[in-house]
Amino acid sequence: MAPDAGTSAILVEDLVRTYPGGLRAVDGVNLRVDHGEIYGFLGPNGAGKSTTVRILTTLLRPTAGRAWVAGHDVVAQAGAARRVIGVALQEAALDPLMTGRELLRLQGALHGLRRTEAAARGDELLERVELVEAADRRVGTYSGGMRRRLDLALALVPRPRVLFLDEPTTGLDPASRAALWREVRALNDDGTTVFLTTQYLEEAEQLADRVGIIDRGRIVSEGTPDELKSRVGEPALHVDLVDPSQVERARELLAAHGECTNRREGGLTLRMSGARAIAPVVRTLDEAGIEVDTVEVETPTLDDVFLAVTGHMASGDGAGAEGGR
Amino acid sequence: MSTDALDRDAGVQARVVAALAARALRSQFRRAQFLLPSFVLPLLLLAVVASGTSSARRLPGFPSTGAYVGFVVAGTLLQGALLAGLTAGIALAADIEGGFFDRLLTAPVQRVSIVLGRVSGSIVLGVVQASLFLAVAFLFGARYQGGVPGIALAIAIAALAAGGMAGLASAIALRTGSLSLLQNLFPIVFVFLFTAPAFFPRAFLGGALRHVTVFNPLTYVVEGIRGALHDAPALGNPWRGILAAVGLLAATTALSVLAMRGRLRTR
Amino acid sequence: MWRRSLNEVVRVRGALLPTTVAPIIFLLGTAGQFSRLSDLHGFPTTSYLAWILPLSCMQGAGFAGGAAGANLARDIEQGWFDRLLTSPAPRPLLLAGPALAAMTRALVPTTVILAVGLALGTGLPGGVPGLLALYLAGVWFCLIASLWGSTLAMRARSQQVGPLIQNGVFLAVFLSTAYTPLPLLQGWLATFAKYNPVTYVLLMARQATVAGIPPSWSHTWPGLVALTGMTAVFGALALRQLRLINR
Repeated sequence: MAPDAGTSAILVEDLVRTYPGGLRAVDGVNLRVDHGEIYGFLGPNGAGKSTTVRILTTLLRPTAGRAWVAGHDVVAQAGAARRVIGVALQEAALDPLMTGRELLRLQGALHGLRRTEAAARGDELLERVELVEAADRRVGTYSGGMRRRLDLALALVPRPRVLFLDEPTTGLDPASRAALWREVRALNDDGTTVFLTTQYLEEAEQLADRVGIIDRGRIVSEGTPDELKSRVGEPALHVDLVDPSQVERARELLAAHGECTNRREGGLTLRMSGARAIAPVVRTLDEAGIEVDTVEVETPTLDDVFLAVTGHMASGDGAGAEGGR
Repeated sequence: MSTDALDRDAGVQARVVAALAARALRSQFRRAQFLLPSFVLPLLLLAVVASGTSSARRLPGFPSTGAYVGFVVAGTLLQGALLAGLTAGIALAADIEGGFFDRLLTAPVQRVSIVLGRVSGSIVLGVVQASLFLAVAFLFGARYQGGVPGIALAIAIAALAAGGMAGLASAIALRTGSLSLLQNLFPIVFVFLFTAPAFFPRAFLGGALRHVTVFNPLTYVVEGIRGALHDAPALGNPWRGILAAVGLLAATTALSVLAMRGRLRTR
Repeated sequence: MWRRSLNEVVRVRGALLPTTVAPIIFLLGTAGQFSRLSDLHGFPTTSYLAWILPLSCMQGAGFAGGAAGANLARDIEQGWFDRLLTSPAPRPLLLAGPALAAMTRALVPTTVILAVGLALGTGLPGGVPGLLALYLAGVWFCLIASLWGSTLAMRARSQQVGPLIQNGVFLAVFLSTAYTPLPLLQGWLATFAKYNPVTYVLLMARQATVAGIPPSWSHTWPGLVALTGMTAVFGALALRQLRLINR
């Protein structure tokens, strides 16, 4: 066992997965997730997200490299790993002929719970994900949002230490998405480590403590959402003046702080390094007697991060294919 | 208890098998696609064969079992067992293609329990089917000289055979993962059926077929059922039937486990 | 449309299996199991295989027609049929396409089964006329089965209707003189078979291989009447259902 493996929730070393035919879906991934973190795994379709998750959840074997979940090697100690993880996979693997309640009880049985324990746990989780009313209807009649909630409930049955969510909100309406985010945050507050894959940049920004960007099987960038954003371009400061005629004068004054361009009538955009420049800018204008109407800071989005880091857009050409089951 | 020991705990695994068997059984009754072949088809064939070939009794030397339908119903029990097995394989292939199989794999469940769950479900289904078929035949005049013990024995043989066929179909499902392939295997069921003395006594079968039946374990299964129902050793030895069914069950379960390992090794 | 239906046979894994292999299995299995029946007095032939062979051809042809209906059900369920409904083609033609494909497909199992039978020693005492009667009966029965299947498909709009279609074909074919001639049938089946049109279609088809049923007008006209009658009934039902499909 690697020295770090016991102290981190997830540890991945030089993970490689090659499919027959030579396709390298995962091409040397290294990452580490601490206990209690929410880690966001971000990438376009075909980047290797799902393959990585399948390896970490013991569904797939790595071609090379090693991985540990809660200290258990996912290959050599797969059984132990399965005891402590909860998994909600992309296809929401549910049986349409069973009811929600029946599925929860089955999941309980699969984790070794006795009948009464499984039933109690099932009822508890139904309340938590607000599926009590639909509990005795067949899953085939559930909406997409309901299926995801059930999938999450099933993943929570064993009170997992590490929760894997593979694109949990893809295809959901905004209300369902927000509800799921709330639930994930609540779980994390209770101490569950969450490994989340997503193609929604907003989701990573909203939920993740740290984000890893994966493209063509490799991690190309890693850090907190803010760190990543700050690596790309500089924030812009938009200044609107009360008296538009003073724009030219303001421009001369602010030239020292950074590149200045005219915005619309009576406004300026200043490209500067670091948000710390705001105060001096306002002070400069104030001392010169130029009244400022509004000041707005615009930081780059993760979209910009993606384009800068991977050289292509997040949506669109998904190079490579994630296949195989 | 360490987590690995918990995995191997027989009590836990027994509960897992029971839960999976219950699910297998439930889905049988919830989907018309499964109900039709398992219950309706064998009864259709029973009606058709029992009425269409009833003149067979005039053949010299044809064994008498009272009403002709009482003779034919053993073949129906066999057919039910075969179809119960096939539908188990189809359901497993559907699980694999649909992703539910992954859910089972990520749970701390012993791989063999997944197979045993399917097989157990089919055994229980076999009991239900056989009971129903015998009851229907009784309504149409069949009489079972073997009495309650004979009936119970016949049902047991049929149910174990159902488990055996489920093991075979599951092995194919695990090996191929293809739902459409398994659905198209439907005609093969009839190959197994016809290469056993399902509807006619072995001695009366056409020459080449008679030779083939010797090698088919289902021959002994159906003859055993017949012997048990009519308390007539001349028709078949029930204990040989049990032995054949159990042997089939053991062999195909082993095959399934091998297929499972193969599937997981190459993933 | 005809071509699309044929394409499917080539592409779907094992698709040809049920329609061609199944009837052969039934042929060999049934002939093997019940071969001694032809020993009975009242059988117009001593070869049970010869008796069963036309039955298997009819079964194969009937299943091919039923499969066309099942495919239509799938097309309806998946929305492809709606696209066809909005095209300028006259509605009845939409049923004709799959029906024609099925009838073409029916030629395959009929021929294969015949070949198997010949290889096993069945003669063709009916000669060319008998053979023509057999093929005519098969292809025509396939058309009727496809009309039946299409009617159910349009009614149910779901693929789940497939087994129901095939079970209907199965019952129609087998609750007749399938296994034994009319004089040897007893009880309710004797009555049912007497009024089942398929009994007469089988009679027509059996002119090919059964020595005791030589080709003649008297063996043929009941079959033609039966086939015409069934076509009228199921054709009318299918057309009616087609009209109703507009909701």
